[in-house]
Amino acid sequence: MQSLGIDVLFKGINFQRLLGGLWVALRISLISVAISIVLGIIMGLLMVNGNKAVKAVCRVWLEIVRIMPQMVLLFVVYFGTTRVFGWNIPAEESAIIVFSFWGTAEMGDLVRGALISIPKIQYESAMALGMPTGTMYRYVILPQTIRRMIPLSINLITRMIKTTSLVMMIGIVEVLKVAQQIIEANRRTSPNAAFGVFGAVFLMYFCICWPISRLAAALEKRWSDEDPDSRRHGRKKDRKSSKKKTAGTLQTKAVS
Amino acid sequence: MSGIRRKAWIVSIAAAVSLMAGVAVQADEPFRTLDEIKESGSINIGVFSDKSPFGYVDENGEYQGYDVYFANRLGEDLGVEINFVSTEAANRIEYLQTGKVDIILANFTVTEERAEEVTFALPYMNVALGVVSPEDAVVESLEDFPEDQQIIVISGTTAETYLEKNYPDIKLQKYDAYAEAKTALENGNAAAWANDNTEVIAFAVENEGFEVGIPSLGSQDTIAPAVAKGNDTLVDFINDEIVALAEESFFHKDYEETLIDTYGEEYENTLVIEGGLTDVPEDALETETEA
Amino acid sequence: MRSYLPLYRDALLLTLRIGWQGVLLALILGIVCAAILQMRVPVLRTIVVIYVELFRNTPLLVQLFFLYFALPKIGIRMTPEMCGTLGLGLIGGAYMSETFRSGLDSIAPIQEESAVSLGMSRSQAFRYVILPQAVSSSVPGLVANVIFLLKETSVFSTISLMDLMFTAKDLIGMYAKTLECLTLLVIFYLIMLLPVSILGSVLERRMRYAEFGD
Repeated sequence: MQSLGIDVLFKGINFQRLLGGLWVALRISLISVAISIVLGIIMGLLMVNGNKAVKAVCRVWLEIVRIMPQMVLLFVVYFGTTRVFGWNIPAEESAIIVFSFWGTAEMGDLVRGALISIPKIQYESAMALGMPTGTMYRYVILPQTIRRMIPLSINLITRMIKTTSLVMMIGIVEVLKVAQQIIEANRRTSPNAAFGVFGAVFLMYFCICWPISRLAAALEKRWSDEDPDSRRHGRKKDRKSSKKKTAGTLQTKAVS
Repeated sequence: MSGIRRKAWIVSIAAAVSLMAGVAVQADEPFRTLDEIKESGSINIGVFSDKSPFGYVDENGEYQGYDVYFANRLGEDLGVEINFVSTEAANRIEYLQTGKVDIILANFTVTEERAEEVTFALPYMNVALGVVSPEDAVVESLEDFPEDQQIIVISGTTAETYLEKNYPDIKLQKYDAYAEAKTALENGNAAAWANDNTEVIAFAVENEGFEVGIPSLGSQDTIAPAVAKGNDTLVDFINDEIVALAEESFFHKDYEETLIDTYGEEYENTLVIEGGLTDVPEDALETETEA
Repeated sequence: MRSYLPLYRDALLLTLRIGWQGVLLALILGIVCAAILQMRVPVLRTIVVIYVELFRNTPLLVQLFFLYFALPKIGIRMTPEMCGTLGLGLIGGAYMSETFRSGLDSIAPIQEESAVSLGMSRSQAFRYVILPQAVSSSVPGLVANVIFLLKETSVFSTISLMDLMFTAKDLIGMYAKTLECLTLLVIFYLIMLLPVSILGSVLERRMRYAEFGD
């Protein structure tokens, strides 16, 4: 039982290659997050303000995203679209399409949740002050919505990063595939490389996702403590609102 | 608010229309012809990235191996950059049919079923199936293979099709990638691993404690480059290359550069096919029956 | 296409079997961890925190690779099925414990104080007063977790478990009938997850009803 393959990590440019692979995964998730945030806000507004048909389309979209494993969507987009439409979408673009499709729906739902959690009186007061709809959203509703959304959106980022490990399955050479290549190229000299290399990948993902999710938790805590609603009202109400919020948070945290 | 509504309608109608348009307008051929490849200045070649010594990536991030050596030569003679695409066994046909690569040079065994889906060029290597197992429990025959044990195969390989067809009772443990299958065998997750005999021999040579109990199984097959069905200009180019390269004993040189460390000299003449000339008659490509 | 159906059915059964074993393990782990955190058991509490953070912040695929390919190198060997169940249980346990903990947080401290003043011990109060309420208020989160875990089974193919995803990939590799295989794949995931999702919505609605009723 020699070495456990830690040495393999530092042979040649192996470690840089692993980091390079990690960057491939990160790049895909960051681009997808950026797209998801923009489209998700639009979708959230539509889900609250749209007519019945629009709402129905959004619901179906959300339900598809909730039910279908991302891996299935990846295969459908990467292999399926070429078959049906003749579009030849490269692997990385396919991944970005799938993650944006998924992220937009999730983000839209977060925006919707945040929008309807704004008490009606805020809308009514703004209107009573004679604000046009645009101004009302710009100065009254959106600032409050964003504050409620940010921690949850940050969670979405870590979920995206974690899910990008699947892109290996459509042939993208990301960190896991690089890990396999390294194990394979060194099988003769260090048969135990799998331990060191997969262990390193495990820790790499943790080192990236953990700080981000701590940040989300810290923001959530700080802003919910500051939330004027929860301080002013009596205990019973307080409990109810926190209960509802808990459920919502979990729902979104869990579905990853 | 009605503005938003109207916009949403327009967007959804536009989306629906474009979807239908997509269905209606089938794309023309998914592949690129020789001229298109030359014009673009780069060629996409699908190779293994975890199948040493045929296609793998070394510690400097460079693709290496018997298949890669030939790929490099093709790129050189075409005068284009090579963009290597890492493939798994099960994706090889798919990548060609959807135009994601121009050529597959990933130890692709010529079979009748595959020849219906893709076009094979002339062969450059001989192959049969083989089975490798741990030294202390060598599997020498598949006839009385114990029911409670499993054999590792890689999804989408000829070994998989062959065992499913001829030994339907043997339980298979299937992996996507070579690296996974080999690690699983090392870890003792199954009784044996069935694959191309070239590959299992290499594994036994490189890893202590393993032995090839069945060195040849099924029919003698060949390995050849493949292109998308009907991509005649490209396959003609590859065939001309293979024939011309025989002058300089290219594939023997390839063997000596990439495989000799693993196999030694004894396999050189049994493995290498030069100039696309096999011992079997010319029309073997059409009549090949076995996996 | 019809000839593939039995293969998909077997794959569905395997996915369901390992899926539910994993979910069960996750529930048990989740409750135990949440209880340890709630009752502030020394040492164990630190271990639980580390476990939860480690498994919530890494992908299941990477965890499975580690469990299945790396651990045997230090002598810990598992069958693919054990590994799948354990992997799912471990990642699920981390998520479930968070869900339960938030459920527990939503129970006002006065509940425990009252129970203790009625003469219950702290563990009795936890068992009979806090836990039932916490579980019921965690239901939406739990259902979401179950759907998440069942979806995550799609990565099992990498450790040679013949689940739905694997069956589709395998058939594509052997026969190149991509469209049929992908269509069946989507249909079978719908068969598996749509009922769970609908059940989740129903439960959530009932929960809300209960909440308004109190």
